[in-house]
Amino acid sequence: MSLHPITDVAGLHRHLEAAIQLEHATIPPYLTALYSIRPGTNSAALQVLRAVAVEEMLHLTLSANILNAVGGSPDLTVPGFVPAFPAYLPDGETDFEVGLRRFSTEAIDTFLKIERPAPADGESIRTVERPPRPTMLGAGKVADDSEEHFYSIGEFYRAIEDGLIRLEAEHGPELFAGDPRRQITPEFYYSGGGEIIPVTDLTSARAAIRLIAEQGEGDGGAIFDYEDEIAHYYRFQQLVLGRYYQAGDVAGSPSGLPVDVDWGAVYPIKTNARVSDYPEGSELRRAAEAFNRDYAGFLALLTGAFQGEPARLNDAMGDMFRLKDLAGQLMRQPLDAAGMEHAAPTFEV
Amino acid sequence: MASTDLRAEFLALSAALTGFSVFRLEGTGQTDAYLTTIGDIVGEATVDALVSVHRGLVDATGGDEAELQRGLRRELLSDAKLGPVARNLVKLWYVGTWYELPAAWRDTFGPSLRDRTFVVSPEAYTEGLLWPAVGANPAGAKPFGYGMWAKPPRIDTV
Repeated sequence: MSLHPITDVAGLHRHLEAAIQLEHATIPPYLTALYSIRPGTNSAALQVLRAVAVEEMLHLTLSANILNAVGGSPDLTVPGFVPAFPAYLPDGETDFEVGLRRFSTEAIDTFLKIERPAPADGESIRTVERPPRPTMLGAGKVADDSEEHFYSIGEFYRAIEDGLIRLEAEHGPELFAGDPRRQITPEFYYSGGGEIIPVTDLTSARAAIRLIAEQGEGDGGAIFDYEDEIAHYYRFQQLVLGRYYQAGDVAGSPSGLPVDVDWGAVYPIKTNARVSDYPEGSELRRAAEAFNRDYAGFLALLTGAFQGEPARLNDAMGDMFRLKDLAGQLMRQPLDAAGMEHAAPTFEV
Repeated sequence: MASTDLRAEFLALSAALTGFSVFRLEGTGQTDAYLTTIGDIVGEATVDALVSVHRGLVDATGGDEAELQRGLRRELLSDAKLGPVARNLVKLWYVGTWYELPAAWRDTFGPSLRDRTFVVSPEAYTEGLLWPAVGANPAGAKPFGYGMWAKPPRIDTV
């Protein structure tokens, strides 16, 4: 997906479509690390990964609400929506790729890059330099000079917020002419990482963006956000630093209780596994293909929920737990006699 | 963890006894827990005897599944010592519970302190083959999610 500065409603739609794609792109990597933890172990890591993954689901839903509010139409079934891992994130950071790997220091290292803080308010939006080349995601448009590549997800959302403010000044409240019945409201989304915000105007759109940015990377790098919730970046950092943050701590020096991490209590799943890694005709291969089919079906269900049938979110919930079960079955399959490497879901959709 | 060979042979024997594929058995995540449980209670020599009877039958029957099943009934399930242990192994996979061996077995072959009825772990219960076999979900454990119990279970055919 090519991003250019937002000057019109179509540009705003493209950014919000990228936002939905971006929020989704973080979920398979987080879930892969989460499900690779052996049952009954690593409760601290389990909690951190689960909380973050669930909040990304909230962010995806909030982005869909904003897109619906400005007359767009979220579609999680377009070809290329799910990246082929390892992949660059769709907001244009090109100094790292995200992949599907077991819970490990390498995985957490990538997660820290995904959630890295933007500078505090007032500073300019930093972008990442890179030569023009075909993008990793989307329809393969060739980049040009004005293409945007954000250093952090927070800055990407700040660009969206700037665009919303500019376009609202230009179009007035008419900018938010989307059908309010397409909004996901608390009636349909609950206990999922925070409060869902229905978006009907600039104020609610900005509240949704603020929630996304602060849950992810903190408020201008602050450890705790305006709800006293610890940002994703610092949640992950606790696992490598081995201590919890508490109020008053300086970034990088948590002083709370020790965090117990057992990096060895993990299924040794293959990094960025592909269906083609599994023997043709094997039950393992059929199961990996079935997982991908079910995942595609799940994204179609979510699309329906975002396109006017919010009640379908409840069906999607059941699918999530079934997918978790299938992912667990795959991760328990040794790929060699000694069990040195295990299978994993491939998320090839 | 058990040697690679013993683990593979234990899975092959378990697949023959339960009717579920090695893939499905591994998918429960209970292979090592059950192999350890049975070894701790009846001893490694008895586990070796179990898998070697199966191995001998596989070699002798050359891929004839019906003949293998007849052989298992004749030489394993009817054996005074190995039969009750093999039946306990089937129960382990299906319900995640080790059942105390029959009194006659304990009198003849010697009781083990650990031979009492117990659920191997909370996961062993929810991962039991009983659930896919009867086409139901373990109540309250799968699938999670509000209102999910109102929907018919989606169970793969074996």
